[in-house]
Amino acid sequence: MIAFPYLFPDSIFKINIVTIAMIFVAGLIALIFLRLATRKLDMRHPKGWQNIMEWGMEFTRTMVGDIVPSERFIQFIMPLAFTVLIFLFVANWMGLVATISIHLNTPIPWLGITASDLQSANGDVALFDSPTANLSMALGLAVMVWLISHYQGLHRPKAYFKNYRNPLHILEEITNPLTHGMRLYGNIFAGEVLIASILSMPMLFHFIPTGLPLLVGWLLYGAFVSSLQAYIFAVLMVLYIGMKSYHMGGGH
Amino acid sequence: MFELGTFIVSIISFLIVYWLIRRWAFHPLHNMFEKRRMYVETQLSDAEKEREQAIKMAADQKEMLETSRKQAKEMIDHARLRAEEQAKEIVDQAKAEAERLVEQGRSLIEKEREEALRAVMAEVTTLTVSISEKLLREHANESLHEQLVKEADAHLGELVC
Repeated sequence: MIAFPYLFPDSIFKINIVTIAMIFVAGLIALIFLRLATRKLDMRHPKGWQNIMEWGMEFTRTMVGDIVPSERFIQFIMPLAFTVLIFLFVANWMGLVATISIHLNTPIPWLGITASDLQSANGDVALFDSPTANLSMALGLAVMVWLISHYQGLHRPKAYFKNYRNPLHILEEITNPLTHGMRLYGNIFAGEVLIASILSMPMLFHFIPTGLPLLVGWLLYGAFVSSLQAYIFAVLMVLYIGMKSYHMGGGH
Repeated sequence: MFELGTFIVSIISFLIVYWLIRRWAFHPLHNMFEKRRMYVETQLSDAEKEREQAIKMAADQKEMLETSRKQAKEMIDHARLRAEEQAKEIVDQAKAEAERLVEQGRSLIEKEREEALRAVMAEVTTLTVSISEKLLREHANESLHEQLVKEADAHLGELVC
C-alpha cells in the first residue's frame, strides 16, 4: 500500500493532503478546458472546444431530462450535474494518465508518514493520484448528494414523510449513499491498484516487459470504466435528488 | 479506512470547485445557450410575423386592384352613358333647331308670297281699272265706273286662284 501524507495525522480529523490537492487539481484542469471553450463564445458559429462543451451541456441536459422531465428541476440541477460529470471525468482519468510518487527513506512524523507506513509502501509516497480513489472523498461526494436530496425533500414535508411509511425506504437512505460512494471509489481504486500491480510485474530476461499487453488492455478498459463511473455517479445523483424534489415536479 | 477530516474537507473542496466551475464556465455557456435560444425564437417569431404581414399585404393589394378595376369600369361605363346622352341631346337640339329654322323660313316665304301676291293684285286691280277706264272712257259714266271696279274686285279672288 502506497503511503499518503496527512494533515493532523494523530487526531480524529485526519486530512489526506494529496486527495484534497487532487480535488483542486482536477477542478483546475476541468476549469482550464472549460475556459478554453468559453473564452471565445460564439452564438452562431461554435467551433473547437466550444462544440465539445456544448455537446457536454446537451448531453447533461438529456441525461437529466430523461430522469426527471421537469424544466424547473433541470434548471436547478444542471450546474451541479454538469460540474459533477466533468469533474469526475477528469478526476477518474487522472489516476490512469499518471500516478506520481516519490521514494522516501526517512519518515516525516508531522505529515503522518511513519516508519511502518514507509516499510509497507516500500518507501513510496503518493504525490499525484485520482482524488476519487479515496474512500472518504467518494463517500463525501455521495453524502453531499444525500444531504442535497433531503434538503430538497423537506420542501414538501408531507410527501417526504409519507415516503417512509415503507420501512425499506429508511434502509435505502443508508444503502444509497453508501453504495453511491463505494461504487465510485471501488472502481477507480481497483483500477489503480491493478495498474500498479501490472507495472510491478517482473520483466522477462530483464528487458521484455511481459506486462505491457496487459497494461495497454487494462488502461483502455480503465478509461472506459472511468468515463462510465463519472456518468453513473452523475445519473444516480440526479436520480436521488430528483426522487425527492417533489416541489419541482420530481418524485416519481 | 474512513477519515473524517478528508471526508469533510473533500465536501468543502468540491463545493469550492463547484462554485468556481459554475461561476467561470457554466454560466457563460448557459448564457450563450439562453442567448441562442432567444435569438432563434425571436428570429422564428419575426419570420412568422413577416410572413403573416406579407400575406395580408398581398391580400390587400389584390383587393385594391380589384376595387380599382371595378372603379375604372364603372367610370368608363358612366362616361360612355353620359356621352351617349350628350350626343343624343346635341342631335335632338340640332334637329329642333333645324326644324325651327325650316319653319321660320317657310313662314317667311309664305308671308313674302302673300305680300307679293297682294302687291301684284293691287297692281292688277289698278291696271285693270286703268285699262278699262281707257277702253270705256267714252261709253261709261261715273256710276258705271264704280260698278265695274266693284265687279272686278269681286272676281279678283277667282282669278288669283
